[in-house]
Amino acid sequence: MSITAPPADIAMPEAGPSSAMVARSFLVRVLFYVLMALITVFFALPMLWLVLAPFDATPRLTIKVPLFTLDNFRILFDNPYAMRSLLNAVILAVGTMLIVLVVGALASYALSRVRIPGRDALLYGLLLLSSIVTGTAAMVPIFLLMTDLGLIDTQLGVVLVMTGGLLPAAIFILKDFMDATPRSYEESAKVFGANPLQILRDVVIPIARPGLATIAVWAMVNAWGNFLVPFILLRDPDKYPAAVVMYTFYTEGGQPQLGLISAFSLLYSIPVVIAYLVVSRRYGFRFHGGIKS
Amino acid sequence: MAPIALEALSKRYPNGVLAVDALDFTIADGEFFALLGPSGCGKTTLLRTIAGLESSTGGRLLLGDRDVTHLQPGKRDVAMVFQDYALFPHMDVADNIAYPLRIRGMGKADRRVKAAETGSGLGLDALMERRPGQLSGGQQQRVALARAMACQPSVFLFDEPLSNLDARLRLEARTFLKKLQKELGVTTIFVTHDQAEALAMADRMAVMEAGKIRQIGTPTEIFHRPANTFVANFIGSSPMNLLTATATGADELTIGGQRVRAPRGVRLATDRTVTVGARPEYVALVPDGSDNALTGVVTIIENLGATSLLSLELVGAEEVAVQVMVPEGSEPAIGEQVHARYDHDRTLVYDGESGELIAGEVAESNRLTKAAPG
Repeated sequence: MSITAPPADIAMPEAGPSSAMVARSFLVRVLFYVLMALITVFFALPMLWLVLAPFDATPRLTIKVPLFTLDNFRILFDNPYAMRSLLNAVILAVGTMLIVLVVGALASYALSRVRIPGRDALLYGLLLLSSIVTGTAAMVPIFLLMTDLGLIDTQLGVVLVMTGGLLPAAIFILKDFMDATPRSYEESAKVFGANPLQILRDVVIPIARPGLATIAVWAMVNAWGNFLVPFILLRDPDKYPAAVVMYTFYTEGGQPQLGLISAFSLLYSIPVVIAYLVVSRRYGFRFHGGIKS
Repeated sequence: MAPIALEALSKRYPNGVLAVDALDFTIADGEFFALLGPSGCGKTTLLRTIAGLESSTGGRLLLGDRDVTHLQPGKRDVAMVFQDYALFPHMDVADNIAYPLRIRGMGKADRRVKAAETGSGLGLDALMERRPGQLSGGQQQRVALARAMACQPSVFLFDEPLSNLDARLRLEARTFLKKLQKELGVTTIFVTHDQAEALAMADRMAVMEAGKIRQIGTPTEIFHRPANTFVANFIGSSPMNLLTATATGADELTIGGQRVRAPRGVRLATDRTVTVGARPEYVALVPDGSDNALTGVVTIIENLGATSLLSLELVGAEEVAVQVMVPEGSEPAIGEQVHARYDHDRTLVYDGESGELIAGEVAESNRLTKAAPG
């Protein structure tokens, strides 16, 4: 490509920025990266502590080179409640996830396809109420309700309450996915003679799979990390999930045992990370319907 | 394989809109029938009502000798191909084609065999393992057709089957569809807004407007004798000239202040307002001094390949526009004053108020029709 010089009578503007402008933009860029680095460090430090402290014989609330030991983990494995609580957490999380998924899929499909007056008001109302109902505001009424139902101190009771709290939001998000699934797929299946359940099985669920996977993981993670509901509703230490058991890692003097807490937290966080990676790999996380074919 | 009969079929939406207004007609067994009309005329609603996706609010629908008015879509024995094909993205082509059979309870092995048969009949052998997302538009259409054919229904319903294809492919697909329908002999209804498509493919067609049928007949009938100004304007690759005229004498009309002879055989009462329908193809430029010609100034020339479409504004009545089609190479210049005369054997006259046909017919080349007196 040849570059021809412009005719002499045309005035050319000064080519390129001045050196002052270059220096300034460089400085701005440097400051930007410094700021980013500081913010990253601010968030990364606790993660770093979580990875280092479990292996430390004398953990403190600082980042330090660990005095390497696996004693913390050994103590945990010897503690019957600790390991049992991880299993309980799995039970609660999976149970909640299943109910939320099944009920949420059916409800969101129905709400997406049927036009009844007040449908949107219903959804928004449910969404608002659900955030109150599972919070501290409804602690006492829920306790009384569960006692009356005889579901106090049962894992079923905890699952039901958590499901109730998560379901409106799940329906809300899933409905968005269902809305984004074009109707012509279902109509096509309908003309071929499929009944609604067949349509759901053959058409809607496979196409809405990314949305369902997202909601499944979201429900599981919420149930996994929920402290308040099991803490209120469960009495028997055998049934405590991990979130509640962690509350008990104190010495007799009331000192938190950082080694145990950090080790347990590390174990506690692993399943969630795995679940995220699995779903992210297979489906990719999307909180909207995605691009139509 | 079944004739279709509509008896006063109506569809009114809950918000009060009357999409289909008491339609009454029949479609013969094995016919390729077109529903043609502009957007919003109710043709797609009618198709969906026949399929069963919309429930009618009045009248009856008969498929063969069965009253299917209130029957579920799956039981009507119809197959529908949607405008966007609706191929299930998570199933491969073979499973897509086999889906209707799966719903009917056919076993897996039988299904695969039938799907392979149907698919190879449409040239899809090499594509059976692919997903719909890996197919071109034309291939997707053939898969959708195969899926509709697999269950051997009595009626095919096509919703704008060609509009998702690009222009060149559309013309090939037209021939392909017509041939396929002829071979299968299945009664087919297709919806389109493209009048050229309807004229080319249909055995009979219905032109719809606002939920009503404005004319029903063979493409030849509709092209040569549009029953009203709506159909006249809608049909034809270039819009028909519809000129307001007043009768000023037994066989004389005044258009835009200029007097011309009325089409052959037309007699009108004096001062009656009519609309003259003349296709640009049947209006010719005549030299200076010719009689019975409209004088106008050329404003626009559109190149159509072997012909050119001229737009004229009449002298003394600039709001009246006349379009004339001339062979290539004989276009006048823009701004030039020319004279245009419509073919007296191929011009129609419509009532000025109702728009209904009074007289005339666009005659075929070797046949002259005596127009009825008005």
